[in-house]
Amino acid sequence: MLRLSLSCIATAMLALCASAQEDPYFVTYTHHMEEPGNFEIAINPVAGIPRNGDRALASYLELEYGAKGWWSTALYLDSRSNTGFTGYHFENRFRLLMNEHRVNPVFYIEYADVNGADRITKEVVGFDSWRDFAEPADEARHEKKRELETKLILSSNARGWNFAGNLIAEKNLAGNPWEFGYALGTSRPLALAATAADCRLCRENFSVGLEMYGGLGEQHERTLFQTAHYIAPTLAWSLPKGVTLRVSPAWGVTSSSNRSFIRFGISYEGRLR
Amino acid sequence: MKRLALLIALLLAACSTTKTEPVGAGAKLFRDHCAKCHGTDAGGRKDAPSLRSARVQQRPDDSLFRFLTNGDLKRGMPSWSRLPDERRWQLVAYLKSL
Repeated sequence: MLRLSLSCIATAMLALCASAQEDPYFVTYTHHMEEPGNFEIAINPVAGIPRNGDRALASYLELEYGAKGWWSTALYLDSRSNTGFTGYHFENRFRLLMNEHRVNPVFYIEYADVNGADRITKEVVGFDSWRDFAEPADEARHEKKRELETKLILSSNARGWNFAGNLIAEKNLAGNPWEFGYALGTSRPLALAATAADCRLCRENFSVGLEMYGGLGEQHERTLFQTAHYIAPTLAWSLPKGVTLRVSPAWGVTSSSNRSFIRFGISYEGRLR
Repeated sequence: MKRLALLIALLLAACSTTKTEPVGAGAKLFRDHCAKCHGTDAGGRKDAPSLRSARVQQRPDDSLFRFLTNGDLKRGMPSWSRLPDERRWQLVAYLKSL
Protein backbone atom coordinates (compact mmCIF):
# COMPACT_ATOMS: atom_id res chain seq x y z
CA MET A 1 0.00 0.00 0.00
CA LEU A 2 2.91 2.33 0.73
CA ARG A 3 4.22 1.78 -2.80
CA LEU A 4 0.75 2.47 -4.22
CA SER A 5 0.47 5.63 -2.11
CA LEU A 6 3.85 6.91 -3.21
CA SER A 7 3.15 6.27 -6.87
CA CYS A 8 -0.19 8.11 -6.59
CA ILE A 9 1.49 11.04 -4.87
CA ALA A 10 4.19 11.13 -7.54
CA THR A 11 1.54 11.07 -10.28
CA ALA A 12 -0.28 13.91 -8.60
CA MET A 13 2.83 16.03 -8.14
CA LEU A 14 4.00 15.53 -11.71
CA ALA A 15 0.65 16.26 -13.29
CA LEU A 16 0.17 19.49 -15.15
CA CYS A 17 -2.34 22.22 -15.77
CA ALA A 18 -5.22 22.27 -13.32
CA SER A 19 -6.56 24.07 -10.31
CA ALA A 20 -8.03 23.06 -6.99
CA GLN A 21 -10.34 24.62 -4.45
CA GLU A 22 -11.31 21.66 -2.35
CA ASP A 23 -13.44 21.52 0.76
CA PRO A 24 -11.40 20.40 3.76
CA TYR A 25 -13.89 17.70 4.78
CA PHE A 26 -13.24 13.96 4.76
CA VAL A 27 -16.67 12.69 5.78
CA THR A 28 -19.15 15.51 5.16
CA TYR A 29 -20.34 16.19 1.62
CA THR A 30 -21.33 19.62 0.34
CA HIS A 31 -23.21 20.83 -2.75
CA HIS A 32 -19.92 21.71 -4.43
CA MET A 33 -19.78 19.29 -7.35
CA GLU A 34 -16.84 18.28 -9.48
CA GLU A 35 -16.69 20.61 -12.47
CA PRO A 36 -18.00 19.01 -15.68
CA GLY A 37 -15.19 17.27 -17.56
CA ASN A 38 -12.88 17.38 -14.53
CA PHE A 39 -11.50 14.36 -12.75
CA GLU A 40 -9.99 14.04 -9.31
CA ILE A 41 -7.59 11.40 -8.07
CA ALA A 42 -7.11 11.22 -4.34
CA ILE A 43 -5.45 8.88 -1.91
CA ASN A 44 -6.66 9.02 1.67
CA PRO A 45 -4.83 7.02 4.34
CA VAL A 46 -6.71 6.53 7.63
CA ALA A 47 -5.14 5.35 10.88
CA GLY A 48 -7.57 4.20 13.55
CA ILE A 49 -6.76 3.77 17.24
CA PRO A 50 -9.43 1.54 18.82
CA ARG A 51 -10.15 1.20 22.52
CA ASN A 52 -9.14 -2.45 22.24
CA GLY A 53 -7.45 -4.49 19.55
CA ASP A 54 -4.86 -3.62 16.94
CA ARG A 55 -4.43 -0.26 15.33
CA ALA A 56 -5.77 -0.28 11.79
CA LEU A 57 -4.11 1.46 8.88
CA ALA A 58 -6.38 1.67 5.87
CA SER A 59 -6.48 3.73 2.72
CA TYR A 60 -8.77 4.48 -0.19
CA LEU A 61 -8.07 5.60 -3.69
CA GLU A 62 -10.75 7.95 -4.98
CA LEU A 63 -11.42 8.47 -8.68
CA GLU A 64 -14.05 11.17 -9.20
CA TYR A 65 -15.44 12.64 -12.39
CA GLY A 66 -17.72 15.58 -13.12
CA ALA A 67 -20.19 14.09 -15.59
CA LYS A 68 -22.40 17.20 -15.66
CA GLY A 69 -22.56 20.43 -13.70
CA TRP A 70 -25.23 18.77 -11.55
CA TRP A 71 -23.87 15.20 -11.50
CA SER A 72 -20.61 13.85 -10.04
CA THR A 73 -19.66 10.18 -10.06
CA ALA A 74 -16.87 8.43 -8.15
CA LEU A 75 -15.23 5.07 -7.58
CA TYR A 76 -13.42 4.28 -4.34
CA LEU A 77 -10.98 1.38 -4.00
CA ASP A 78 -10.31 0.44 -0.37
CA SER A 79 -7.33 -1.32 1.13
CA ARG A 80 -5.91 -2.18 4.53
CA SER A 81 -2.29 -2.60 5.54
CA ASN A 82 -2.41 -6.27 6.60
CA THR A 83 -5.13 -7.62 4.30
CA GLY A 84 -4.72 -5.72 1.02
CA PHE A 85 -7.76 -4.87 -1.11
CA THR A 86 -10.94 -4.76 0.99
CA GLY A 87 -13.59 -3.64 -1.50
CA TYR A 88 -14.98 -0.83 -3.60
CA HIS A 89 -17.69 1.84 -3.50
CA PHE A 90 -19.41 3.39 -6.51
CA GLU A 91 -21.18 6.67 -5.76
CA ASN A 92 -23.21 9.25 -7.62
CA ARG A 93 -24.28 12.70 -6.45
CA PHE A 94 -27.07 14.69 -8.05
CA ARG A 95 -27.66 18.35 -7.35
CA LEU A 96 -31.42 18.79 -7.03
CA LEU A 97 -31.69 22.55 -7.66
CA MET A 98 -29.91 24.14 -10.59
CA ASN A 99 -29.36 27.57 -8.98
CA GLU A 100 -27.64 28.55 -5.76
CA HIS A 101 -30.08 28.85 -2.84
CA ARG A 102 -29.77 29.52 0.85
CA VAL A 103 -29.81 25.74 1.39
CA ASN A 104 -28.78 23.50 -1.49
CA PRO A 105 -29.93 19.88 -1.51
CA VAL A 106 -28.00 17.05 -3.16
CA PHE A 107 -29.07 13.41 -3.43
CA TYR A 108 -26.33 10.82 -2.99
CA ILE A 109 -26.52 7.11 -3.79
CA GLU A 110 -23.77 4.55 -3.34
CA TYR A 111 -23.28 0.84 -3.88
CA ALA A 112 -20.52 -0.78 -1.84
CA ASP A 113 -19.05 -4.26 -2.06
CA VAL A 114 -16.59 -4.60 0.81
CA ASN A 115 -15.43 -7.22 3.27
CA GLY A 116 -15.57 -7.04 7.05
CA ALA A 117 -11.91 -5.98 7.30
CA ASP A 118 -12.64 -2.67 5.55
CA ARG A 119 -11.68 0.15 7.91
CA ILE A 120 -11.74 3.33 5.84
CA THR A 121 -14.67 4.59 7.96
CA LYS A 122 -15.99 6.95 5.32
CA GLU A 123 -19.04 7.37 7.53
CA VAL A 124 -20.45 6.06 10.80
CA VAL A 125 -23.94 4.55 10.86
CA GLY A 126 -26.22 2.50 13.11
CA PHE A 127 -24.39 1.05 16.09
CA ASP A 128 -20.90 1.04 14.53
CA SER A 129 -18.49 0.98 17.46
CA TRP A 130 -14.94 0.22 18.57
CA ARG A 131 -15.97 -3.44 18.92
CA ASP A 132 -16.03 -3.73 15.12
CA PHE A 133 -12.36 -2.74 15.12
CA ALA A 134 -11.47 -5.29 17.78
CA GLU A 135 -12.23 -8.20 15.44
CA PRO A 136 -8.98 -9.58 13.94
CA ALA A 137 -8.61 -8.63 10.27
CA ASP A 138 -8.00 -12.22 9.13
CA GLU A 139 -11.40 -13.26 10.52
CA ALA A 140 -13.26 -10.14 9.50
CA ARG A 141 -12.15 -10.34 5.86
CA HIS A 142 -14.35 -13.44 5.34
CA GLU A 143 -17.49 -11.41 5.97
CA LYS A 144 -18.88 -10.04 2.70
CA LYS A 145 -20.99 -6.88 2.74
CA ARG A 146 -22.97 -5.53 -0.18
CA GLU A 147 -24.53 -2.27 0.85
CA LEU A 148 -26.72 0.44 -0.57
CA GLU A 149 -26.25 3.86 0.94
CA THR A 150 -28.18 7.06 0.38
CA LYS A 151 -27.56 10.52 1.71
CA LEU A 152 -29.49 13.74 1.72
CA ILE A 153 -26.87 16.46 1.58
CA LEU A 154 -27.85 19.97 2.62
CA SER A 155 -25.24 22.65 2.19
CA SER A 156 -25.06 26.41 2.47
CA ASN A 157 -22.49 29.15 1.90
CA ALA A 158 -22.60 32.38 3.88
CA ARG A 159 -19.95 35.09 4.39
CA GLY A 160 -17.15 32.78 3.34
CA TRP A 161 -18.30 29.93 5.56
CA ASN A 162 -19.70 26.64 4.36
CA PHE A 163 -22.23 24.78 6.51
CA ALA A 164 -23.15 21.23 5.51
CA GLY A 165 -25.27 18.47 6.97
CA ASN A 166 -25.69 14.93 5.67
CA LEU A 167 -28.39 12.48 6.70
CA ILE A 168 -27.27 8.93 5.92
CA ALA A 169 -29.33 5.76 5.43
CA GLU A 170 -27.43 2.54 4.74
CA LYS A 171 -28.73 -0.97 4.12
CA ASN A 172 -26.86 -4.24 3.95
CA LEU A 173 -28.50 -6.01 1.01
CA ALA A 174 -28.31 -9.35 2.84
CA GLY A 175 -31.53 -8.25 4.55
CA ASN A 176 -30.34 -6.28 7.56
CA PRO A 177 -32.39 -3.27 8.64
CA TRP A 178 -31.60 0.25 7.47
CA GLU A 179 -28.94 1.98 9.57
CA PHE A 180 -28.83 5.72 10.01
CA GLY A 181 -26.08 8.24 10.58
CA TYR A 182 -25.21 11.88 10.16
CA ALA A 183 -22.30 14.16 9.33
CA LEU A 184 -22.08 17.88 10.05
CA GLY A 185 -19.36 20.22 8.90
CA THR A 186 -18.39 23.85 8.75
CA SER A 187 -15.37 25.37 7.07
CA ARG A 188 -13.86 28.61 5.89
CA PRO A 189 -10.77 29.72 3.95
CA LEU A 190 -8.28 31.63 6.09
CA ALA A 191 -8.50 34.57 3.66
CA LEU A 192 -11.59 35.31 1.59
CA ALA A 193 -9.99 37.44 -1.13
CA ALA A 194 -7.19 36.24 -3.35
CA THR A 195 -3.88 38.01 -3.71
CA ALA A 196 -2.45 38.82 -7.13
CA ALA A 197 0.85 37.10 -6.38
CA ASP A 198 1.50 33.42 -6.98
CA CYS A 199 2.12 31.97 -3.56
CA ARG A 200 1.99 28.68 -1.74
CA LEU A 201 1.82 29.78 1.88
CA CYS A 202 -0.74 32.60 1.48
CA ARG A 203 -3.70 32.33 3.82
CA GLU A 204 -6.05 32.10 0.83
CA ASN A 205 -4.64 28.62 0.12
CA PHE A 206 -5.66 27.24 3.51
CA SER A 207 -9.12 26.20 4.68
CA VAL A 208 -9.97 25.12 8.19
CA GLY A 209 -13.07 23.31 9.32
CA LEU A 210 -14.73 21.17 11.91
CA GLU A 211 -16.68 17.97 11.33
CA MET A 212 -18.88 15.92 13.60
CA TYR A 213 -20.28 12.54 12.57
CA GLY A 214 -21.87 9.51 14.14
CA GLY A 215 -24.56 6.85 14.19
CA LEU A 216 -28.28 7.34 14.76
CA GLY A 217 -29.35 3.76 15.34
CA GLU A 218 -31.34 1.45 13.09
CA GLN A 219 -34.70 1.21 11.40
CA HIS A 220 -36.36 -0.39 14.45
CA GLU A 221 -34.31 1.40 17.09
CA ARG A 222 -33.59 5.02 16.26
CA THR A 223 -31.52 6.23 19.17
CA LEU A 224 -28.29 7.90 20.21
CA PHE A 225 -27.78 5.34 22.99
CA GLN A 226 -24.68 3.16 22.40
CA THR A 227 -23.83 4.92 19.17
CA ALA A 228 -20.40 6.25 18.21
CA HIS A 229 -19.73 9.93 17.55
CA TYR A 230 -16.61 11.78 16.51
CA ILE A 231 -15.45 15.35 16.40
CA ALA A 232 -12.75 16.23 13.90
CA PRO A 233 -10.99 19.50 13.04
CA THR A 234 -9.81 19.60 9.43
CA LEU A 235 -7.21 21.53 7.47
CA ALA A 236 -6.76 21.73 3.69
CA TRP A 237 -3.88 23.31 1.81
CA SER A 238 -4.36 24.02 -1.88
CA LEU A 239 -1.13 23.93 -3.85
CA PRO A 240 -0.55 25.04 -7.44
CA LYS A 241 -1.20 22.60 -10.30
CA GLY A 242 -4.42 21.25 -8.79
CA VAL A 243 -2.92 19.49 -5.77
CA THR A 244 -4.59 19.65 -2.34
CA LEU A 245 -3.27 18.24 0.93
CA ARG A 246 -5.65 17.58 3.80
CA VAL A 247 -5.37 16.33 7.35
CA SER A 248 -7.93 15.66 10.06
CA PRO A 249 -7.51 14.10 13.50
CA ALA A 250 -10.79 12.77 14.95
CA TRP A 251 -11.65 11.96 18.54
CA GLY A 252 -14.37 9.65 19.75
CA VAL A 253 -16.75 11.38 22.16
CA THR A 254 -18.86 8.46 23.42
CA SER A 255 -18.05 5.13 25.05
CA SER A 256 -18.92 3.29 21.81
CA SER A 257 -16.49 5.37 19.76
CA ASN A 258 -12.97 4.44 18.83
CA ARG A 259 -10.38 6.46 20.72
CA SER A 260 -9.25 8.42 17.66
CA PHE A 261 -8.53 8.47 13.95
CA ILE A 262 -6.17 10.46 11.88
CA ARG A 263 -6.92 11.00 8.22
CA PHE A 264 -4.66 12.31 5.50
CA GLY A 265 -5.50 13.14 1.92
CA ILE A 266 -3.67 14.16 -1.19
CA SER A 267 -5.69 14.91 -4.27
CA TYR A 268 -5.02 16.02 -7.80
CA GLU A 269 -7.65 17.62 -9.97
CA GLY A 270 -7.32 17.76 -13.76
CA ARG A 271 -9.34 17.91 -16.94
CA LEU A 272 -10.35 15.05 -19.19
CA ARG A 273 -12.11 16.99 -21.93
CA MET B 1 -6.35 18.56 22.84
CA LYS B 2 -5.86 22.02 24.41
CA ARG B 3 -2.97 22.75 22.07
CA LEU B 4 -5.06 21.80 19.06
CA ALA B 5 -7.94 24.00 20.24
CA LEU B 6 -5.49 26.86 20.69
CA LEU B 7 -4.08 26.30 17.19
CA ILE B 8 -7.56 26.32 15.65
CA ALA B 9 -8.46 29.46 17.61
CA LEU B 10 -5.31 31.18 16.30
CA LEU B 11 -6.06 30.11 12.74
CA LEU B 12 -9.62 31.37 12.98
CA ALA B 13 -8.43 34.61 14.54
CA ALA B 14 -6.20 35.07 11.52
CA CYS B 15 -9.25 35.00 9.24
CA SER B 16 -9.78 38.41 7.73
CA THR B 17 -10.36 39.87 4.31
CA THR B 18 -7.05 40.74 2.70
CA LYS B 19 -6.87 43.99 0.75
CA THR B 20 -5.73 43.11 -2.72
CA GLU B 21 -5.57 44.50 -6.22
CA PRO B 22 -8.80 43.08 -7.69
CA VAL B 23 -7.86 42.86 -11.38
CA GLY B 24 -4.52 41.18 -10.67
CA ALA B 25 -6.08 38.77 -8.20
CA GLY B 26 -8.94 38.13 -10.63
CA ALA B 27 -6.40 37.33 -13.36
CA LYS B 28 -4.82 34.73 -11.12
CA LEU B 29 -8.21 33.23 -10.26
CA PHE B 30 -9.12 33.20 -13.96
CA ARG B 31 -5.91 31.33 -14.79
CA ASP B 32 -6.54 28.82 -11.99
CA HIS B 33 -10.24 28.15 -12.55
CA CYS B 34 -11.49 29.43 -15.92
CA ALA B 35 -8.68 29.32 -18.48
CA LYS B 36 -8.88 25.57 -18.96
CA CYS B 37 -12.31 26.01 -20.60
CA HIS B 38 -12.35 29.60 -21.85
CA GLY B 39 -8.70 29.72 -22.95
CA THR B 40 -5.79 31.59 -21.40
CA ASP B 41 -6.74 34.73 -23.37
CA ALA B 42 -10.46 34.31 -22.49
CA GLY B 43 -11.10 34.10 -26.22
CA GLY B 44 -13.21 30.97 -25.87
CA ARG B 45 -12.84 27.37 -26.99
CA LYS B 46 -15.00 24.71 -28.56
CA ASP B 47 -17.27 24.21 -25.54
CA ALA B 48 -16.95 27.59 -23.82
CA PRO B 49 -17.68 31.05 -25.26
CA SER B 50 -15.37 34.03 -25.51
CA LEU B 51 -15.48 36.26 -22.45
CA ARG B 52 -14.30 39.22 -24.52
CA SER B 53 -17.59 39.34 -26.41
CA ALA B 54 -19.94 42.33 -26.16
CA ARG B 55 -22.51 40.03 -24.55
CA VAL B 56 -20.25 39.52 -21.56
CA GLN B 57 -18.61 42.93 -21.49
CA GLN B 58 -21.92 44.84 -21.55
CA ARG B 59 -23.48 42.75 -18.82
CA PRO B 60 -23.79 44.56 -15.45
CA ASP B 61 -21.27 43.54 -12.78
CA ASP B 62 -23.88 42.15 -10.41
CA SER B 63 -25.39 40.05 -13.20
CA LEU B 64 -21.96 38.55 -14.01
CA PHE B 65 -21.43 37.91 -10.30
CA ARG B 66 -24.76 36.06 -10.08
CA PHE B 67 -23.88 34.05 -13.17
CA LEU B 68 -20.57 32.98 -11.63
CA THR B 69 -22.41 32.03 -8.44
CA ASN B 70 -25.13 29.96 -10.11
CA GLY B 71 -23.39 28.77 -13.25
CA ASP B 72 -25.51 27.23 -15.95
CA LEU B 73 -25.38 23.64 -14.82
CA LYS B 74 -27.42 22.23 -17.69
CA ARG B 75 -25.12 23.81 -20.27
CA GLY B 76 -21.84 22.85 -18.61
CA MET B 77 -20.95 26.08 -16.81
CA PRO B 78 -20.19 25.10 -13.19
CA SER B 79 -21.33 27.05 -10.16
CA TRP B 80 -18.41 28.87 -8.56
CA SER B 81 -20.17 29.29 -5.24
CA ARG B 82 -17.31 27.34 -3.67
CA LEU B 83 -15.21 30.49 -4.11
CA PRO B 84 -15.96 33.17 -1.50
CA ASP B 85 -17.91 36.26 -2.69
CA GLU B 86 -14.73 38.36 -2.57
CA ARG B 87 -13.01 36.10 -5.11
CA ARG B 88 -16.01 36.07 -7.44
CA TRP B 89 -16.00 39.89 -7.41
CA GLN B 90 -12.29 39.80 -8.23
CA LEU B 91 -13.10 37.58 -11.20
CA VAL B 92 -15.77 40.06 -12.34
CA ALA B 93 -13.23 42.91 -12.08
CA TYR B 94 -10.80 40.96 -14.25
CA LEU B 95 -13.42 40.00 -16.85
CA LYS B 96 -14.49 43.65 -17.16
CA SER B 97 -10.85 44.67 -17.66
CA LEU B 98 -10.44 42.53 -20.80
